Amino acid sequence: MSPEYRVELLNVSKSFGGINALQKVTLKSKPGEIHALVGENGAGKSTLVKILSGACKKDNGIIKIDGVEVEIKNPQDGRKAGIGIIYQEFSLVPDLSVSENIYLHTLSEKKIFMRWQKMNRNANELITSLGFAINPLTKIRDLSIADQQIVEIAKALSENVKILILDEPTAVLAPNETSLLFDVLKRLKQKGVTIIYISHRIEEIFIIADSITVLKDGRVSGCYLVPEINKEDIIKLMIGRKLNAYFPKREIIHGDEIFKVENICVRDKVKNVTFSVHEGEILGITGLVGSGRTETVRAIFSADKKKSGTIRLNGVDLNIASPADAVSSGLGLVPEDRKNQGIILPMSIKCNISLTNLGRLSNKLGFIKNKKENCYTLQLMEKLAIKAESSEVIVSDLSGGNQQKVILAKWLGIDCKVLFLDEPTRGIDVGAKVEIYNLINELAAKGMCIVMISSEILEVMGVCDRILVMKEGAVQDMIEKDEFSVEHILRIAVG
Amino acid sequence: MSITKKRVLKALHFLIEYDTLVIFLIMVIISSTISDVFFTHTNISNLLRQVSGIGIISMGMLLVILTGGIDLSVGSIVALTSVLCGSFLLYMPVAIALICSVIAGVAIGSFSGYLISVHRIAPFIATLALMTISRGLGFIISKGSPIILNTSGSALINFGSGYLLGIPYPVFLMFIVFILVFIILKYTVFGRIIIAIGSNEEAVRLSGIKLKYYKFMVYCITGGFAAIAGIISTSRTGVGSPIIGVGLELDVIAAVVIGGANLSGGKGSAVNTLLGVLILGMIGNIMNLQDIPAYPQQVIKGLIIIVAVLLQGLQTKKKL
Repeated sequence: MSPEYRVELLNVSKSFGGINALQKVTLKSKPGEIHALVGENGAGKSTLVKILSGACKKDNGIIKIDGVEVEIKNPQDGRKAGIGIIYQEFSLVPDLSVSENIYLHTLSEKKIFMRWQKMNRNANELITSLGFAINPLTKIRDLSIADQQIVEIAKALSENVKILILDEPTAVLAPNETSLLFDVLKRLKQKGVTIIYISHRIEEIFIIADSITVLKDGRVSGCYLVPEINKEDIIKLMIGRKLNAYFPKREIIHGDEIFKVENICVRDKVKNVTFSVHEGEILGITGLVGSGRTETVRAIFSADKKKSGTIRLNGVDLNIASPADAVSSGLGLVPEDRKNQGIILPMSIKCNISLTNLGRLSNKLGFIKNKKENCYTLQLMEKLAIKAESSEVIVSDLSGGNQQKVILAKWLGIDCKVLFLDEPTRGIDVGAKVEIYNLINELAAKGMCIVMISSEILEVMGVCDRILVMKEGAVQDMIEKDEFSVEHILRIAVG
Repeated sequence: MSITKKRVLKALHFLIEYDTLVIFLIMVIISSTISDVFFTHTNISNLLRQVSGIGIISMGMLLVILTGGIDLSVGSIVALTSVLCGSFLLYMPVAIALICSVIAGVAIGSFSGYLISVHRIAPFIATLALMTISRGLGFIISKGSPIILNTSGSALINFGSGYLLGIPYPVFLMFIVFILVFIILKYTVFGRIIIAIGSNEEAVRLSGIKLKYYKFMVYCITGGFAAIAGIISTSRTGVGSPIIGVGLELDVIAAVVIGGANLSGGKGSAVNTLLGVLILGMIGNIMNLQDIPAYPQQVIKGLIIIVAVLLQGLQTKKKL
């Protein structure tokens, strides 16, 4: 008789230096089930799946797979037990081909020569079985994010996974790609694979998941079959209170048009992008992945070289040749890739926040004024409700939402005039998202110009006053607030 | 957990946390037990004088390594500035000759820094080029033979062999440089940004910080420190020689690494680097006292570097 559950985590606990990340968490999932795992920032979702996959060791508790207790001490043990995990940051090698990436793990087997043809054929079969057509000889670098994700899944399947963990798989996908991913997950489900699905998008859970476990502060606050629960209840379980409005309302008061960019061009990536922002306005930029949103903003900020284009703030032409020029002209950027571009992980909250303002926090000889710096950081931490014991806490110990707030604090502290936010809520849960929306609103109310890039159409509609839709590097349309509708925007974005 | 076990764990934690200090103390204990001469004033001041050059350069190298770079040209800069210092002294007053030598060292460093920060040439390659260029210039200027200091150089020789309060002048200089770098790293914007660059260059750049300036400056500073080491060498031997300092850059890098710095940047401290320099110096010193020949010395030195770095590996593992 086969056991009822494919995977059982029983009373799993884990603490990091006195802080209880997980307290007696129990999670059970059946074969062929999609089990959603949700919770706020730092609720312990990542820790839990890391324990299951072997990236992290548990302090207490039992893990059973197919009813048999297993000891998972490292990722190798996890793989042997049939557990595959796909993180938000993919673990693919960009310069290797699709098939090489899929079969990378077999390279450690004791064989001398590669069997290229067989490898490519098998890779092709695997991808076809997922309902996709990707040439196995393509380099990962040349694939779209969505295709890369499929390769990740294929890679996991090539190792015969029984349990597949997906950490926010849709955060990087456009809506049409999301539905393709769901098709793939349904196929895997039919094959009997158990899927543990971490997501911040509660809507998705009702589309794809069979059951749901909600974590709050390292404990299980609820475990349900999906038909038994509604969206409001999930949010309540996650944050312990009711969320009245997902997108906070605000009064829109626009001043003059103070920021204007004209004919921004970046080689073949951005074509003659022109737009303007009023004082106190939140302008949204959306479009599919690869539509040139990020490239446009990076070019304005001079993070990448632009071919041409003029940038005007308060009627004055800005000559921006480097990010340093951009910052001194009053521009700020919260980049798309938080960990690699936004934040210095091994340094403290204090060092990160004061980085943009060291000039004012030091004396003429270049010595940092300790007291002033402490005051400055603590003020910003309080203002943004950054949850940490002190300003000396190392940023890598913070949750994604708090890390994002640290980056926002860098720009808030220096009162920049125009703030670019590139996917500011990616990988952040509901509670922190709302906090960030509120902050954006507050900044706009103070007269800051805000340009927000997001691939979540609902988000740009909820937050922004006007939406610029891009496709293939060019502006498709500028949509005013009274014309907002998901279908309309999607139609323009797809073209 | 029993109390003794807790104590053992605590002690272990301490050992791993302060590994460089622990290695340093072990070295001191070993040295003083196997040799009666070790703890004499003459020996200690000799030891310190021997490491003063490496000590000064390693402080610059620490800054370079913190940014994630490397500087291979320091040994050659020592030779070049030694030669320059010797020849300048033939024509100029001492003070001006010394200043010019230091400027030459900074100039070589600035050339590396320019290539690395503006043209984005890998530090390894840029400084490798400057390493051969400086060495070559040293040979050209000296025409391949050592330059013997004339009478106006005697003041310099007095400096090289003189003492203040029982401490050799070059050792004083080393401690001044150490304190300077310590303060830079701990209290100044410059130090903060250098560490930040080594931890995440892109985040620093996107925060509006002039990355190029800082990356340029660390090589200038190191060039200047190497020049000081070159002058010290000249002051001790009384000759400007183009053949000194071969392989010196490796000793300097070894000292910084023994001091716990991470070659990919962002991690390292002035105190530990100084300890690294002293550890390296002691290894040579004690083996000389024991009359161990030079060849086995090199092997033992290498082994001790491996042990030091393995211990640091434990430290990172503990944190995970």
